[in-house]
Order: sequence, then C-alpha cells, then structure tokens
Amino acid sequence: MVHFAAVSSPDVRPSSPLPATNSSPAQSGRSGGRRRRRGSASPYPSSPSLGGFETPPPPGRRTPSGAATSRQRQNWTGRFPPTPSTPMSTDDVPPSSEAGDEDTPETDGGGVDADAAPVFVWGTNISVQDVNAAILRFLRHFRDPRDAGRVDPVMDEGKYMRAIHRILELEGGESLDVDAHDLFDHDPDLYGKMVRYPLEVLAIFDIVLMDLVARIEPLFEKHIQTRIYNLKSSVCLRNLNPSDIEKMVSIKGMIIRCSSVIPELKEAVFRCLVCGFYSEPVMVDRGRVTEPHICQKEQCKATNSMTLVHNRCRFADKQIIKLQETPDEIPEGGTPHTVSVLMHDKLVDAGKPGDRVEITGIYRAMTIRIGPTQRTVKSIFKTYIDCLHIKKTDKSRLHIEDSMGTDNPDANKTAEDVSLGDKVEKLKELSKLPDIYDRLTRSLAPNIWELDDVKRGLLCQLFGGNPLRLPSGANFRGDINILLVGDPGTSKSQLLQYMHKLSPRGIYTSGRGSSAVGLTAYVAKDPETGETVLESGALVLSDKGVCCIDEFDKMSDNARSMLHEVMEQQTVSIAKAGIIASLNARTSVLACANPTESRYNPRLSVIDNIHLAPTLLSRFDLIYLILDKADEQTDRRLAKHIVSLHFENPNIEEIEALDLPTLVAYISYARKYIQPRLSDEAAEELTRGYVEMRKRGNNPGSRKKVITATARQIESLIRLSEALARMRFSEVVEVRDVVEAFRLLEVAMQQSATDHATGTIDMDLIMTGVSASERLRRDNLVAATRNLVMEKMQLGGASVRMIELLEELRKQSSMEIHLHDLRSALGTLMTEGAVVIHGDSVKRV
Amino acid sequence: MVGPQYDLVGNPLGAVRATFERAAEAAAAESGGREPVAAFRGKDWGANEVFRSFLFEQGGLDKVPVLDASNLGLIKPNTLVRFRGMVQDMLGNEYYVGAFKDGSTWRTNKFSDFSPFSIPHPCDSHLWERHLFHCVPVPGQNSWTRESSPGPDVCTMSICLTPEQREKRKRGADNDAMDVSENGNVEASSSSKKPKDDDAHNSNSSPEVSMNKEHIPEMNGVDHHIPGSSFSCLVKVYDMPESQVKLNDVAEFIGVYTFDPELAAPTDNSDDIMFDLIEDVTAQLPPSKVPRLHCLVRRKLSAHDFLSKPPTAEPSPILLKSIRQSLLSHLTLVLGKDELAAQCLLLHLLSRLLNKVDVVTVGRLSLNFTGFNRESASIFGNQINNLIQRLLPYSQAIPLSIEYLNTATLQPRKDNKSGRLITGVLQLPQGTHLTFDETLLQSGSLTSKGVENTMLLKNLMESQMVEYDFEYYKLEMATDIQLLTLSEGKSNILLSDLIVPFRPSCVPGVNASAEELESWRWYLATVRSLPQSTESETYQMIQDEMVSAMRDDRSLGCSELSRWLTMAQIMASSFGENSLSIEHWQMVKELERLRKERLQ
Repeated sequence: MVHFAAVSSPDVRPSSPLPATNSSPAQSGRSGGRRRRRGSASPYPSSPSLGGFETPPPPGRRTPSGAATSRQRQNWTGRFPPTPSTPMSTDDVPPSSEAGDEDTPETDGGGVDADAAPVFVWGTNISVQDVNAAILRFLRHFRDPRDAGRVDPVMDEGKYMRAIHRILELEGGESLDVDAHDLFDHDPDLYGKMVRYPLEVLAIFDIVLMDLVARIEPLFEKHIQTRIYNLKSSVCLRNLNPSDIEKMVSIKGMIIRCSSVIPELKEAVFRCLVCGFYSEPVMVDRGRVTEPHICQKEQCKATNSMTLVHNRCRFADKQIIKLQETPDEIPEGGTPHTVSVLMHDKLVDAGKPGDRVEITGIYRAMTIRIGPTQRTVKSIFKTYIDCLHIKKTDKSRLHIEDSMGTDNPDANKTAEDVSLGDKVEKLKELSKLPDIYDRLTRSLAPNIWELDDVKRGLLCQLFGGNPLRLPSGANFRGDINILLVGDPGTSKSQLLQYMHKLSPRGIYTSGRGSSAVGLTAYVAKDPETGETVLESGALVLSDKGVCCIDEFDKMSDNARSMLHEVMEQQTVSIAKAGIIASLNARTSVLACANPTESRYNPRLSVIDNIHLAPTLLSRFDLIYLILDKADEQTDRRLAKHIVSLHFENPNIEEIEALDLPTLVAYISYARKYIQPRLSDEAAEELTRGYVEMRKRGNNPGSRKKVITATARQIESLIRLSEALARMRFSEVVEVRDVVEAFRLLEVAMQQSATDHATGTIDMDLIMTGVSASERLRRDNLVAATRNLVMEKMQLGGASVRMIELLEELRKQSSMEIHLHDLRSALGTLMTEGAVVIHGDSVKRV
Repeated sequence: MVGPQYDLVGNPLGAVRATFERAAEAAAAESGGREPVAAFRGKDWGANEVFRSFLFEQGGLDKVPVLDASNLGLIKPNTLVRFRGMVQDMLGNEYYVGAFKDGSTWRTNKFSDFSPFSIPHPCDSHLWERHLFHCVPVPGQNSWTRESSPGPDVCTMSICLTPEQREKRKRGADNDAMDVSENGNVEASSSSKKPKDDDAHNSNSSPEVSMNKEHIPEMNGVDHHIPGSSFSCLVKVYDMPESQVKLNDVAEFIGVYTFDPELAAPTDNSDDIMFDLIEDVTAQLPPSKVPRLHCLVRRKLSAHDFLSKPPTAEPSPILLKSIRQSLLSHLTLVLGKDELAAQCLLLHLLSRLLNKVDVVTVGRLSLNFTGFNRESASIFGNQINNLIQRLLPYSQAIPLSIEYLNTATLQPRKDNKSGRLITGVLQLPQGTHLTFDETLLQSGSLTSKGVENTMLLKNLMESQMVEYDFEYYKLEMATDIQLLTLSEGKSNILLSDLIVPFRPSCVPGVNASAEELESWRWYLATVRSLPQSTESETYQMIQDEMVSAMRDDRSLGCSELSRWLTMAQIMASSFGENSLSIEHWQMVKELERLRKERLQ
C-alpha cells in the first residue's frame, strides 16, 4: 500500500503516485476488503481522516470495461470468493479465511445476511451489510416523484430499474447515472455515507449493481459503472481544503487544458521465449507489472524467459484535465485557482478546453516522491480530483443562448432549466414586486444622473418586443431602435457604453470610424485560397444583440444609408462578384448624435435640429432629445450626486436596485421565456391612442415640421408595450403597458412640449428625465396652485403677483417651493385655460 | 517570560518546533490525549508571537538579512531572512503533513519543506495547507527605497555558508540550469522573447538610463517583465485566509529561507508523462534560482515603510505647510518657473484613488502637460522623471512610440500551459506613478497588438482598471496608478483629467539636498494617507458653489465638477487640513481660471 514513510520498510517497492489512481478492479475490491478487515482487527485505532490518505485505496469504480473485468467481477458476484491463487494476487497474501468472511455479504447478492457478524468499513461506523441493503433498496424502489402523474406501463418499476433495463436492452451503456438528489430524497443517511466515504460506498454500489444485473440477465458480460452526479452542494474550487480529501465533491469550473489520451496498461500478457507459452494475464498493480520469473508451463520452467506481448495486453484510456475557477468565483484581487482532474475511459475527451463543466468526483491527495531512486517522500501532497461524472453547464453566460428569433423558442429549454431552477425562482419573485419597473430603471446605469425616461426607453430596448413572422412570410421585427440626440456633455456616450456592457452580443462602434462595410458585411479574398469570403461587420456580429453607434451624425451618408435595410428588414444583403448573400442582422440599433449645430437650437424645429433623413428617422422607435436645460433643481441634484460620490455621505438614501448580474439574468430570462400577447383591451387602447396621435399630427398649422404618427409608430407602440409586459414577466400586454408606451413615445420626442404650430420646442416645458417622484411633486403643486387660484381669485378679477401666490403657497404646504416651480405650475394651468399670465402677474379667466 | 532559548535568526525552525512540542504537550494534557494537535490546523500555537516580539519589540528586525539576488546562495538555508516584494502570481494552495506523531511526541513540519525526522509508518498525521505566492521585486521600485532598511551584511554573519557549502550549492544550481533548459519550455520561450524586449528597452529608454545611471540600477528597467530572468521568491504563507493577500500587493515577508538540494534534483520523468499536468507550477521555479521562503511574519508595506527614518514629528499643519512650500518651489524650479504647472503637478502627485462606483472613479487626477516637443521633453521630461523617481517609491517612464505600442507586452497574461501569470508592463502595485512621453509618437499604423495596448492604456486612464488575459476570459483588476502624460497637443489617446499647457520660462537646473528629498518623501506619503472628514455644512457649501458655477457656465459637466472637488480635496490635504473649506475650493477655482486662460 502507499505509505509516505515507505522508508521504514525497505522491502516495499517505492510507492508511485500512479497506482493509487488506477489500479485494477481486483485490487480495488481487495484493498477495500483489507481495509475493512483491518478495521475489525487493527490494534491501533487510527483517526478516520488519517486513514483516508494513509492508504489511498483505489476506488472500485475505476474499473474499465472488458472481458477480464467482468470475469473478475463475476468472482465477486458469482458467489465464488476470490481465490488467493488468481493471477492478480501480486500483493501480499490475503488470509483466505477472512476473505471468505468479508465476502459473505456480497455473495448474498446484496441481501442482509442475518447470520454474519456485521462488517464495518475500516475506520468508520459504516456497516457493509447496511449499505448494501440500502443501495439495493434505492435501486429497486426509488420512484421519481416527477413521474408520479404519468401513466406508463413500465411505471411499476423504479426509475433506476428502468434505467438498468434500458442499459441491458441497448447493451451499449456502461454506466448508470445516479442523481444524488434522488439518493438524498430516498435515503439521506446513505447519501451522507456516500459523500463522506465515497470509495467504500461506491465500491459496494458497483457490486450491488452488478449483482442486480446478473440476476436479471445472467449472461450480461459488461461492467456497469455507477456515476453519481448533481450533489446537493457544490464546493467552490477555492474552498477545497484538506478536510475534503477523500470526500465526494462537486465543483464547477472551466477546462483550460487537456492532456493527450494516455493508454494505460491494465493487464499484461507474457510469453515464454523458450517454449512460447503465454502466461495468464497479469494485473497491473499500482503501476507495476510483476514479470513472472519462471515459465509457468510445467514442462518448461525456464527462468527469466518471459517477455511482454504488447498486442495481447489490455489498455485503458486516461486523461488529465486542468480545471480553473470561473471568473465569477474569483474574489477581487485574486487569480483563479486550478485543480487537476483525472478522467478515465468514457470520460476521456468529454470536455474540451474552454468548456464550463460541473465535475463530481473524489478529491484526493498523493505524496510526491523525491526521485526514482529515493524512497523518501516529501511531506508535500499533490491533489487532484478523480472524476466520476462530468456535466457541461450552460454557456458562459446565461444570456448568450438567447432565442430572440421566432425560429425555435422551445428547442433549448431542457437541460439548462434544471440548473437555473433556483435562480429563476428568484427572478420570478423579483418580477412580482409592484415597483419592478422603477427598480429596473434605477438599476440601469445608476451612476448616470437623471434621464429616467431615457433609461426606461433603453430598458424597453433591452427587453425587446416579440418578433412576428406571418405565414405569408412577412416579418415584423421585435427589436426596438433608439436614437439619442442631445447636447454635448449629457452623458449619452456613457449610456451607450453601459448598454453595450449589458446587452448580449453588444457591439460598440463610433460613427466617425465606421464605414458602410464595416457596419454590415464585406467580401474579401482569402489570401491563401483566393476564394471570396464574407466577413461580418458590426451589425451582423451583433445579431440578436444591441449595436451601439456613437456619433451617428458624423457618419458618412453612405454608411448611414446601409442602415435602412438593417433597421427594418433586419438583414444585410450583399451582392458582389461571386457572392450574393443575405445575412441576418436582427439587431437593435442604439445610436446617439449631437444636434446639427452641436447644441440644440430652440429656434429651429426638432426635425431641423436632428437633421437626419426622415426615412431613417422613422425607423427609430424612440428618438430622445436630451436637452441640457438650465434648471436649478437638476443642477442641485447633480451637485449633490457629485458630492456624495466624494464623501461618505451618511444621509444619502439607499436606493434599491438590482446588481448588474441580476439585471443581466433578469433581462435574458424575460427575453427567452416571456412572449407576451396583446389583450383585447390593450388593443383597443392602442387604436384609440393612435387615432388621437394622428389627429394631432394633422393639425392644420403644422406644416410638416412635426413628426407625425405613421403606421410604423403603431408597430413601435406594440413593441414597446410588449417589452413593458415582459418586464413584469407577464404573458399578457395590459392596458397600462399601452398607456406607458404612449407616454414613453411622447416623452421621447418631447411631444408634450412641442409647439405644434411651429414645430419648435417650448424650452420651458421640457421636463427631461424628471423622476416619478418629482413628477408627483409637480402634480401636487399644480393641484395646490389650482385650489389657491380658485379660492383667492375672482373670475376675471384683479391680477395677483406671482410672489404673493408663492408666499401663500409656502404657508399652506410643508414642502419647499421655488418660484420656478410655481411658474411651471401656472404654465400648466394656463394651458388648461384657467389663468392668464402677464409677466409677473396672474389673472384668473 | 524568559528570553528565547534559540537563535531565532540562525535556527528559527528550532524555535518553531520547540514551541510546537510544548503546545502539543499542553494540549494533550488538557484533552486527555485525544487529537491534541487537531486544533492547531490553520492556527498559530505561539511561535508567531515569539518571532513578533523578537522582531518588533526587541529590535531583532535589523539582525535579519534581506534576501536579494546578490546574496542568494550566500545565505545558509533554514535561517531567518527578509524579503520585500510584490505578489506577482498566486499559485494556489499546497497540502503538507503539518503534524505527525513520532512515537509519543507530536512533531510539526510547518515552515519547512522537509521533515527533520523521518515520518514513521504508519502514524497519525494531519494534513494542513499553506498558500503559495510568487513574489518579485517591486516593478519600478526606485533606488532610494532600498536604502531605507538595510539588513546586516550577510558575509560577516555566522549564518553565511562556508566555501565548500557554497561550492556544493553552486553545482546544484548548475544541474538545475541544465534541467530547465531541457524540459522547461517556459524558460525557452521567455529567452526567445528576451532580445526583442531588450531592444525596445534599449532603444526607447536609453537616454534616460544613461543620464542617471547612478540612480537607476537595472531594476528600474523592464527586465523584471521577463519571467525567470530576474530574481523572484516563492513565498509560502500560513494561517490566513487567502483573500488577505491580493495580487500586486507589496509586502515584507520575514520567514525561513529553505533550500534543499534534493528538492532541486530532477523529478523522475519515467512514468510521469501524464503527470506533467498534475505537476504543480513550482516545478518550473527551480529552488536554486527562486528561493523558498516560509513566511512567519508578513506585513503590508505602504509608502511610509520606505522612508529611512520615520520622523518623530506629528504631521501638524504648520510642518506640512512649510514642507509644501519648499516642495512647491522646487517643483516650480524644475518646471522652468511655471507655477501653475507646479501647482497641478503637486496635486497630481498627491492624488490617490478614493472610491470606485461602477465605472466612475473618484480621487484620481491624471495630468497631461501639453506644449512639449522632443527637445523640451528631453530636458524637462527627464527632470520631471528624475524628480519623481526620487520622490515616489515606485515609478516608471514609458516612451509612447508606435514601435513601443506594437511590441511591448503591457497586458499580463495567464499561460495556462505553465499555469503561471506572465507579467506585463501594466502589472503594477497600487500607487505606482507612470509617465508617458507622447512626444515620441509619430504617425504610423498600429498592429493588432498595438491597438490592444492602446485600449489597455485607455481603459487604465478612464477607469483605473487593467484587464488581465486569462485565455478564455479577461479579468479586470483594479489599480491605483498616477498617470502623467507629456505631449505636444492635447493627448487624444490618453485622455487625462487635467490638461495643462506647459509654459516654462527658463531652463531647469536645480538640485535638492538629501534632507530635502527626505522631507518631501515623508510629506507625500503622509499627505496621501491623511484621512478626510467633511462636515455637512461643507457639503451644502460645495453644492451651492457647484450650482452657481453651473449657472455661470453651462458647459460644465459632471466630470469637471467632480474633478474640481477632487482637486479641492487634495488641495486641502496638501495643507495638512483634514477637512475641506471654502478657501481651498476658491484656490482650485482660481487655478482652473488660470488654466482655462492658457487653454485659449
């Protein structure tokens, strides 16, 4: 056995780290047996933790499939105790009487032998018989609660019995996957034992399984392995520590390196050079083969005549992979940890570098030998994981597999669902919050000040509407395009950067540096083969994502015109020599631009300020004018914000917001699984509102200076309301969604502030990015002012100075009121036709 | 308490073991013989205390030699040494037999690679863990910092190796070198890379190097960015959560230096083809080149720790003010009597990262001096670099040329084959000062590497983050680096917070005395660590000020106001004040006014 102090017994071969990991099944059984035996007889009771690595016993399950193995197995299962004379007994001679004794439970076919004295796994309180019986019970009787409702003729058998039958029928499977959750549900005690003493319990598991198989199908030759997966708790790679050694662990990580497949000798066959006699297969014992000294043939008996016959030997595959922590588990200022994982047989090449996997295995440590000739071992251990089961987890991020398209929304709903289970529950809980809309708004770029309505629009873009494909082949996009036009220094670029970070497959380009082909696609000649190849540009690359284009106004007209097709048809068509292609570009475009005269000119109309082709403009669902308007309120808030960044301000209110990963998960879940449909009431509201908008646009004085409602806009509204419903994880678009969509659209164009007569914006009316609470405050103020006017002033009576009104109001209410606030409140009243303002005086009409 | 019976410097392990055996006996007596040492896992049993009191209370620190490239091989193994360095890579954990029962006594292997007693078989033992850190001399560490805490001369000490020992040791090293060239492809690749880097280094920074040869030893170059070519140390740290040490931390490790020729012997390769993957990375760090240090005492170093003699005086505002004055006048002279530039440079030198909210960083103040051309950059630039080198513990000057951008390895990269982090120029400890000379930049085309490097620099400027390449993903590491750019016009590649047109009126030609330098260093270190507290009236006052400023100038944005506040805060602390007051705000406004005048 491997002891790190092999020094003291010079006869023992220097222990190599190798055998501990890959010895033959025979030994595994035997070593397990010896350990057990020693437990009952050992004069020195040792600590269990020590026993763990003092004798790294090969797990029974390291057994490769093959004739020899099953033969060996049948020794166990076929009711014959292993005879000491079997060729694999290269180890010290086991006392056969005890061997028989310890084999009793196994030969009993897993049943509990009442007569036999209880046999315990060495150093533990695990009774072999009990475990044996428990496993058998589990395999026979476990029924998946999820199957309970299903009517199935095979249902009278348990889940794993069916699995075993399937393996037998197909004759292909060599392993039985056992969900540790099932095991836990059925028998928590057994689960606990398995996790704490995996080597012993799994060895028994295999034996029970083989015995079971032998009963059903006595002729079944292959060895079936038990593969445990889905442990109750998985350890962070970083938190593995010495107490985990020899325990079953489950860790997540990324494969960073795979070794080549290593063929490992399992059984060696020797031939006598003198007489040509082939020896019995010799089992490899801890990485070493004992060459027979004498030819075993009676007539020959030549010494030192045996030679290895390579092509008669049996090999097994082995591979070592390196697993590294995934980025999300690395604490700040740390580097990722790695661990080696040993893979055998079928698990070889199950993962490639770059894959994210969850590995269930046994954490092990082995001593390091100093040199081939030295017997001393260092006091240092190397650790690795003996892999039992490997599962590829979902792609690097939740949101990559985003099926925004209509192609097959249900296709990939299978495996990932399970692993995301509790995450999804959390998201669903979030979605039920009444203020989720505001909360999401706050969470989007929390460090960018104000601009709440712009953020709402951007949220809609992230969530997106439903794409629709009619049977006729007509395609309606679900992506929402947004244009931000605004004064310099209004943090447009920062918003863009943030969106780029947040969106799946976001691409960020600057208009000045982008050419038409760079955005769409271009044809290039492959320098080696001379073939023409298509190279994707930014828009194609951001398929199903958001393409952020900064400095849209500085883009060349040519490049901009390329966007027409992308933004409505969502494809990029190429017709060049040799290649005619149409590429998908189902992307949302988020562009930002400065007004034509770099600052917004209030004397010009909105259209003149933006100065983009109306054809292109109409393809944007939302066009935000972010205007920097002198407003002491906003300035003050900005100042406060800056100050709070610099100082640990105790009285800054804690905003409840989602952190970035949650937000990303929330969005991608909604995009993937929520496909809202319009309710009838919502549809009605939509029609009504649209008709109203059309009327407004057709104002006789408008002279086409206002952006009027078009059919495109009703599509936009549908998309927006769908996105809004998605934010609540609601499958139905309700009236409130439609109302909010209308509001967003109006706010976006500052339409409430647009003078329809001239097409210009009344700067005093702009309420850019006024937060909900602020709006409420202003509403209250308007109401208060109205009451005051009604009370104090006569209809058509003398005019009152504004200052007087202000003082009057201040007396009445507890809140702080500025003259500016009052002025805007009165402005609202004036539009209602309640008062008339002349300079500083107010008159009721 | 009786004094230590052991020579703690010459035989630290003796003390460790003695304390352990005593503690184990006591524990055994207490628990009645059951698992007496289990409680010692991940804990100290009193050895640490012995060393701490020896080092810090009894002045033993001065007796401990400093381990560096020059005396590596002279120091006797298993003695106490000191090492100052930056954590360049974290190599994970190592499990070892921490305690084992030898007959009836418990023994420990803590703080050593080898067991002094053969471990009997079978025996009770405990497996403990320790953390491995690969430490290198701090990149860009300036020479003055080394004078601060010299260790005793190794050769005069009793712990020095005898000649024959040295001979033997040398042979071991030779074997080792051979071994490495045979199977270490890392070393091979790095040596193939070496000439290129050397070229870049020579061609770009040679004027500077030749100018102040006596001040800059080779350490200040880019040599340390080639793995294996320079001195490094493998530090094994015990008894602490790993999160306590962060990548790029600068710390002093005091511990047991071990060297075991047996460890250096080649590991058998016969049946280990498959085990090269399990092979830990330490195998590539041959013990003869990379000494092992079993850390007993560890302390994080700040700029203060590099000052040669900590002044006894309290940082009173009066004292600080006078030093500020002398430093400012010196800066003015160095900058050719450009007082505005000197003021800005002072603020820049005092800036530090205070807070980071998402992408917004607070407290940094990167500076861009414009109006340089090649000639003036060579005169003033060198003066500035020279001064900074003598004032700050770590600084580097990077010549920003097309060639440099296209060839230099700025980004640290994880080599998953060797499992090591290959360092890049931007792997720097917190508080490093970088000077970019953009006057060398001419029009030309960047290769993809050049573009990547530019993006890295830009990211560093904007968000104080450096992206490390982990092959399958990138990981952003937070940094706190002061960035100064010298350029002809406003640098558009490296967008600084503060752009100051440089207007010198005379040629610099001043030299500072050693005492002056000393006091300035102390001043910079002290002011940067001054705590800031502000009363709520000040908040209000500043908010009002900002609102009025915005009313006056609509073009003021969030970033500018934020910068003003940063400058005002630094201004306040530069006078030794704990809290910001209106005068400082006014001073900053005045400074800004002057600066804006120049910009027009």
